[in-house]
Amino acid sequence: MRSGLPQGVSTPPRHSPSVDEDNERLHSRERGLWGSTPGTLVLAFVFLLAFMLYYFVNWKLLSFVWKVG
Amino acid sequence: MDTHTGIESPRGIWWKRAHPSERMWVGIAFGWCMVLFAMMPLWHLKGGQNPAGIRHRTDPKAYLQRVQEFIATYQVGEDHGIPVVSPPPGSDVYLLGLSWQWRPVLKLRQGAEYVLHLSSLDVNHGFSLFPINVNFQVVPGYDYGLRVTPTAAGDFRIVCNEFCGIGHHTMVGRVIVTDSTGQEVASTARAVLRGEAGP
Amino acid sequence: MTAPEFRTCPVTGRRIHRDADALIRANAVAATVALLVGGIAAVLVLLTRWQAVHLLPAEWFYRILTVHGMSMLIFFILFFEMAILYFAGAVLLNSRVATPRLAWGAFWLMVVGALMVEWTMWTGRADVLFTSYVPLRAHPAFYLGVILFAVGALVVTGIFFGTLVVARRERTYTGSVPLVTYGAATAAIIAVVTLGHGAGIYIPTFLWSLGLMKVDPEVYRMVWWGLGHASQQINVAAMVSVWYLLGALTVGAVVLNEKISRSAFVLYVLFINLASAHHLLVDPGLSPAWKIVNTSYFMYMAVLASMIHGFTVPAGIELGQRLRGFGTGMFEWLRKAPWGDPGFSSLIFSIVVFGFVGGITGVTFGTEQINIIAHNTLRIPGHFHATVVSGTAMAFMGLTYYVIPLIFRKRVAFWPLARIQPYLFAGGMLVFSIAMTFAGTFGVPRRHWDISFAQAPFDVQFSPAVDVLIGTMAVGGLVAAVGGGIYILITVWSVFFGEPIEAREGANAVRPTPGGLDAPAPFPVR
Repeated sequence: MRSGLPQGVSTPPRHSPSVDEDNERLHSRERGLWGSTPGTLVLAFVFLLAFMLYYFVNWKLLSFVWKVG
Repeated sequence: MDTHTGIESPRGIWWKRAHPSERMWVGIAFGWCMVLFAMMPLWHLKGGQNPAGIRHRTDPKAYLQRVQEFIATYQVGEDHGIPVVSPPPGSDVYLLGLSWQWRPVLKLRQGAEYVLHLSSLDVNHGFSLFPINVNFQVVPGYDYGLRVTPTAAGDFRIVCNEFCGIGHHTMVGRVIVTDSTGQEVASTARAVLRGEAGP
Repeated sequence: MTAPEFRTCPVTGRRIHRDADALIRANAVAATVALLVGGIAAVLVLLTRWQAVHLLPAEWFYRILTVHGMSMLIFFILFFEMAILYFAGAVLLNSRVATPRLAWGAFWLMVVGALMVEWTMWTGRADVLFTSYVPLRAHPAFYLGVILFAVGALVVTGIFFGTLVVARRERTYTGSVPLVTYGAATAAIIAVVTLGHGAGIYIPTFLWSLGLMKVDPEVYRMVWWGLGHASQQINVAAMVSVWYLLGALTVGAVVLNEKISRSAFVLYVLFINLASAHHLLVDPGLSPAWKIVNTSYFMYMAVLASMIHGFTVPAGIELGQRLRGFGTGMFEWLRKAPWGDPGFSSLIFSIVVFGFVGGITGVTFGTEQINIIAHNTLRIPGHFHATVVSGTAMAFMGLTYYVIPLIFRKRVAFWPLARIQPYLFAGGMLVFSIAMTFAGTFGVPRRHWDISFAQAPFDVQFSPAVDVLIGTMAVGGLVAAVGGGIYILITVWSVFFGEPIEAREGANAVRPTPGGLDAPAPFPVR
């Protein structure tokens, strides 16, 4: 990239003329539940796992303190 | 298929059916949010720690009066100029936060239940029981009556964790919890980490 | 010869009105000045909480902490968001700004308000911290300054809505607004409700500071957090809009489904205000039912919205990359992404740290009972530095690297430094937030000058781990401060001394002619 210009300014991302057909293909049924964005699905599940873990660990920590109500 | 970025207007109708993977994620996220909601009422039913308390409005001067009566009734000593009180199990315990001390020093018994009343004489204070890390907001004009049961014996501190002026960082109180026979366990708060700190 | 009223952006193809250009620049500069003040305050506060250094005396610590909170969370972020509103409204829609003179009036009102508040803080007339909880009392000029600032911001929000109407009526775009504009509009709607709460609390408190009326401390907390938390939701909606914007600019990120993304923005509007309840979970005076309903039905639907955007934004990046040919395997789209582009790296760090650290910790503490072990400990600032600093501010910084060439028409100075700045800032803040949160689990209080408790009647012996954690937090914070300092250096230098860009530089936009621009220009381009 040219110095002082981010690549999105010096060489903006271009879609090919066939982008709509390509997109259609990525959404086709053969890809199944993974769909057009399998990488993101994996990352999203990692996030959910981390969330569940942190959440329930905190409930456990809470259970050790004095009874209060 | 209308392929466009977030800075381009969608072409035509944008209310379109989402792909199964997206709908699945939305469904899972929604389910998780329902779990998050359900845990709170569930803990009220099954768990031992809830910030419900018995809540009343009060007048700071009237509350101060109540605290002074409480101290007069149950005082057993003094520590660093602050009266030490030993209320019987099951009773109402009155703690006052004022800039910049917690009054009085409490001597409680492990396993006994008390109603711990919290209020302030002047500004907001933060009740933070060290090292258990139980935290409540102490507001002038409000009496927060929490039913507490110390589950471990030891020598605890009350750290103020809501800014209350220039002396905020000097505001430390003390709670001594004797074991179930009434014996003091140790002279530093580290004792609770070796004691019976179970759920 | 007068300057042309509109110019055409060579990258996005948009027609940019000269008032929009000027207003974006003014607000961005004001934001950067506020960031500098808040950043200096941040370093001073950090070096004081790091007990090994303990730089400031007690009085100055609480004072500078107030400066830090106000300058960052109100002045920096809101000035930047005003710039975003002008961009998302006028620029993205090829429109003129609805009422430019009023817009400038509002800008100067905000500047005056900010200066009044800064004056009261620096001269010790407002040692009340960012939340200014009644009965802590500040000089009346403190509250008045905030009111003036808020009125200015409210006017700008109104001008944004007016610009949407003007653009529609003058047909400067066709079809529906772009998603980024839609997101900015939801941020603006939330801003109206937020600033309404602000008026609702700062006006009575201003009168109270003059001795003219009473303000109940718990009612203050409830209404103030109606301003305080809702303002964070403006920040979230603005940040998510910027995510879509940066995704589009850096990698041609594609909107997966407008219905889903727009609905998620609407969830933010509908469900955020009552969710402020999660600041009052361990307060007296409020019933468990009130706490549970407001924190769950109302916040969890906003959490759902965030979880939706947390999927659609990276998915849009992935899809955009796959459509450009980076489709091999599960993660080529990420590996072969432009990591050397500070706009892109800022975007990714913003999403990841906001979600994993900020979001997860925040929702967890927002549980009625778990709040008991978190309230007013360092876990709280640990959480919000991960959301609003490593999330929102990081995204805004990334956007600046595009604002400089596209709006200021200058090259970005110190380019090699610019490319690593997001890594420094995000990396430092990540370490800072995690260490801080961890220290909080040991009971370390927030807003506290001396955790050695040297002047307290009773001793408090924190675990030795706390010293290690605070030290780690300090190192992370200093690295982040260096990253922040580099950002300010680059932006100030680029704007005032940077190399101008020639008019026709840069290739065409993502689509050769975005649909909405095929119609003839409504205004003659001179």
